[in-house]
Amino acid sequence: MLVLSLVLVPIVAGFVLLVLRNENPVMSRTVGALVAAFTFGAAIAAHGQEWSYRWLTRPFVASFHIGDTAISYWLVLLLAICTFCAILAASVPRQRAFVGQMLLLEGAMMGLFLARDLLLFALFWDLMLLPVFFVLLGWGEHVATAWRYFIYNFAGGLFLLLATAAFGALYGSTDVIGRSDVHLAGAWVPWIFWGFAVAFLVKTPVWPLHTWMPLTYSDTPSPMVAVVSAVQSKGGLYGFIAIGMAFMPEYVKAYAPILIVLGVISLLYGAFVAVTQNDAKRVVAYSSLSHLGLIVVALASLNATALQGALIYMIAHGLFSAALFLVLGFVESREETRSLVRLGGIGATNPRLAGALCIAALAALGLPGLAGFVGELIILTGIFQAGLTWAAILALIPIVLASAYMLRLFQGIMNGPQVPDLPVRRDLGWLEGLALAPLVLALVVLGVNPHALTTFDTGAYNAVATTLQGGTR
Amino acid sequence: MTVNVTSADWYALAPISIVAITALVVLLADLFAPKHVNRYLAIVLAVLGIVVAATDCKAAYAHDFAAFGGAFIVGGFSVVFQEIILIAALGSVVLYGAIGKDDRIAGAIALMLWSACGAMLMAGAGSLMTIFLGIELLSLALYCLCGLADRPTAREAAFKYLILSSVASGFMLYGMAMLFGASGSVALADLTNPVLASNPLLWIGGGLFLVGISFKLSLVPFHAWSPDVYEGAPLPVTAFMSVATKAGTLAVFARFVYAAMPSGVADRLLLPIWIVAGISMIAGNVGMLAQHDLKRLLAYSGIAQIGYMLAALAGGTALGMRYAIFYLAAYTFMNLGAFAIAALISDDAEQGSRLANYRGLAQKSPAAAALMTVFLLALAGLPPTAGFLGKILILSTTASAGYVWLGIALIVGTAISLYAYAKIIRAMYQRDEHAHTHAAHPFVPLAWASAIVCCVAVVVLTFVPPALRDVLPLVR
Repeated sequence: MLVLSLVLVPIVAGFVLLVLRNENPVMSRTVGALVAAFTFGAAIAAHGQEWSYRWLTRPFVASFHIGDTAISYWLVLLLAICTFCAILAASVPRQRAFVGQMLLLEGAMMGLFLARDLLLFALFWDLMLLPVFFVLLGWGEHVATAWRYFIYNFAGGLFLLLATAAFGALYGSTDVIGRSDVHLAGAWVPWIFWGFAVAFLVKTPVWPLHTWMPLTYSDTPSPMVAVVSAVQSKGGLYGFIAIGMAFMPEYVKAYAPILIVLGVISLLYGAFVAVTQNDAKRVVAYSSLSHLGLIVVALASLNATALQGALIYMIAHGLFSAALFLVLGFVESREETRSLVRLGGIGATNPRLAGALCIAALAALGLPGLAGFVGELIILTGIFQAGLTWAAILALIPIVLASAYMLRLFQGIMNGPQVPDLPVRRDLGWLEGLALAPLVLALVVLGVNPHALTTFDTGAYNAVATTLQGGTR
Repeated sequence: MTVNVTSADWYALAPISIVAITALVVLLADLFAPKHVNRYLAIVLAVLGIVVAATDCKAAYAHDFAAFGGAFIVGGFSVVFQEIILIAALGSVVLYGAIGKDDRIAGAIALMLWSACGAMLMAGAGSLMTIFLGIELLSLALYCLCGLADRPTAREAAFKYLILSSVASGFMLYGMAMLFGASGSVALADLTNPVLASNPLLWIGGGLFLVGISFKLSLVPFHAWSPDVYEGAPLPVTAFMSVATKAGTLAVFARFVYAAMPSGVADRLLLPIWIVAGISMIAGNVGMLAQHDLKRLLAYSGIAQIGYMLAALAGGTALGMRYAIFYLAAYTFMNLGAFAIAALISDDAEQGSRLANYRGLAQKSPAAAALMTVFLLALAGLPPTAGFLGKILILSTTASAGYVWLGIALIVGTAISLYAYAKIIRAMYQRDEHAHTHAAHPFVPLAWASAIVCCVAVVVLTFVPPALRDVLPLVR
């Protein structure tokens, strides 16, 4: 039952916050942070637990089956940490409703990662779009962005739904996630594969389905975009591993070239565009496109080493992108602009803020000693091993460019002469520091001791890796 | 053929009789009751009658019985449809607590109950005669109900409905005459004779019959009447019409498709219907985009939703029948819920259905806005609502019956519809200082209760879908 509380507690708390009339921002922040901290503890305590309740028996078997797998365990922890930090950092108008939406988002994504049933996965997939959509409508800068986010992702969700229905009709059960004995075969499987793939590629996102992403990332308030970019984008990658690779490995193999090409285009395109952006959040948005493209290439390379690296990099990317967006949020709330042209010289008056951005940016550009480096290194090794030399070489270009755009971001905001008409505000406060501390700590710990994450290969992951090695032999 | 009518035959009609008698009681009570209580007296009496009828109706579930020599067939199928119709009547009658002039309530409620009798008759109709009787009883009462508002649009709606619906009835009657000519019997059971498969009368008659059905179901291209009529009719009538006519006609259609055709005919005779259902899903949802009135919008939405239900029936599988009924039940609750909210925020001139009135509703009445959001999300098929589960069930059954293109039409239609529904949600949550929303009626307990019950039902149906066994339509 503890594992069920991971999903229910944030959702119930979120609804309670939405309904309450008390507008005290400290109260809502405290409640939100406590709930997120609870989910972190409960996720560790409930590791390996399962809870199941039969939902449908016809036309296919489906259950409310909740429980983490070896892969989703880490994503659940990442989600809890990011939500905790983001809620601590949240300082927006109508705070209570905002924190409520954050908790709803956490609950829905908990459900997504913990779902052991495809139908339940599809349910939470659609559900997790709603809080972001509502926040974009209520707090975003442009209404059109909310629509673009929703329509793109919901269209992807419909493909997911269709594929799930077809999966259920074909296999007779959707209660399959985390099982290693499930294998789909038949003439319809390529369609099912692409149904899932479209949903995952939109969500990740991958070029050319990414056009909702830069707008959404720059328009959403920073605390929420930190969670969306850090964790929601992993929903697609997680689905790709837990569904695509686990149940349809030979189709992943058959379509791998397409996925690799899309991934390479994303990682190059994202990096090149990131260098030219003047909106600080968009720099990070496009850098996400680039980093996630690398993970797609790693997954599609069908190499166990690359897969291991992808899993590490998924966590690392979650940590540093959340940290980046939170710091950019702090900058924006102080200076009321995100334009790199307009900003400058803040580091002189706000040294602690500069230090925070520096760590996050260094993690993003893959500095050894921080978690991002480990992931990139293992992925590149794996891609070489898989014989995709050209892809590995192309993947090196964005790593160089990452230094360029991240340093440009840092310098544009923190260095240079002080801009006279920018307001001088107080430096990073203790609460903001507290909000960043878990992320930075995790980045350093995982960077110095990646062993914690390389012990991934148990349970479901093992099954995926074995299937893959069988497939590539 | 002589038919021995026993008391069991009359018992089969008991739920319908109870509803019909309740209507009379409502009218009589209105004559003698003091003016200031008659509104609530009428509503309470009607609700009591409906509840009694629903309790009585339940008994026939899993006890199949062909009454009056097969003219009226009770069993799981008829019970489920009758219950849905009774729920529709209940959900619409309570809306009169919020809307309408005191002195006209009783008459309207009585007419609505008689109309429900017609729909309930259709749910169990086992012969062409009973089908027609049910349709006319349903429609005649509705023509009057449509005209019962003080607006010119109401009269226009009633007139439009009368003319167009009569044309449809004409088609249907002509088709029935040909079916009778082919089989020499009005019983649906006699249409299954395999000899008929090569009889052109059956094909023409069946085709005309289906045209009539499509008209009543407001499938594209026979849909043009429904937005106008929905818009013009008083709100409770629209709520009733949107569910009860669809439920009754769907029951007739399902019985015809599942039980009353010679083998080998279904695939070819029904193909146009499936195509039309696919077109309805797309066209209905596209039509929704341009609407500025909730009733019109829900009319177009209904055109699409009936397409989804028909998609479940394509292929004629037992599971398809269950899912069509499940979706119909879900649709009943989400639609009635949406109308209950519309009634809550409307004044007596029923301006509550204009979409402009929903701007900034969340500020005035957060609860109403939240409930409306749930119903709209359910209509769009988003989790965690019954609309989501219903759609996925229909998708899987259509796909496994080999009608993948219908599944794709459903997906495309859903994607389009989303924009229309979300547009209302957005308007409700917009911060608008000049919002001219009427403040919700201070306390309209019945309409609130209806909305809350519908909301609970829409969510609970998702997680505890009812196991609908023995709901295949039969003929005897």
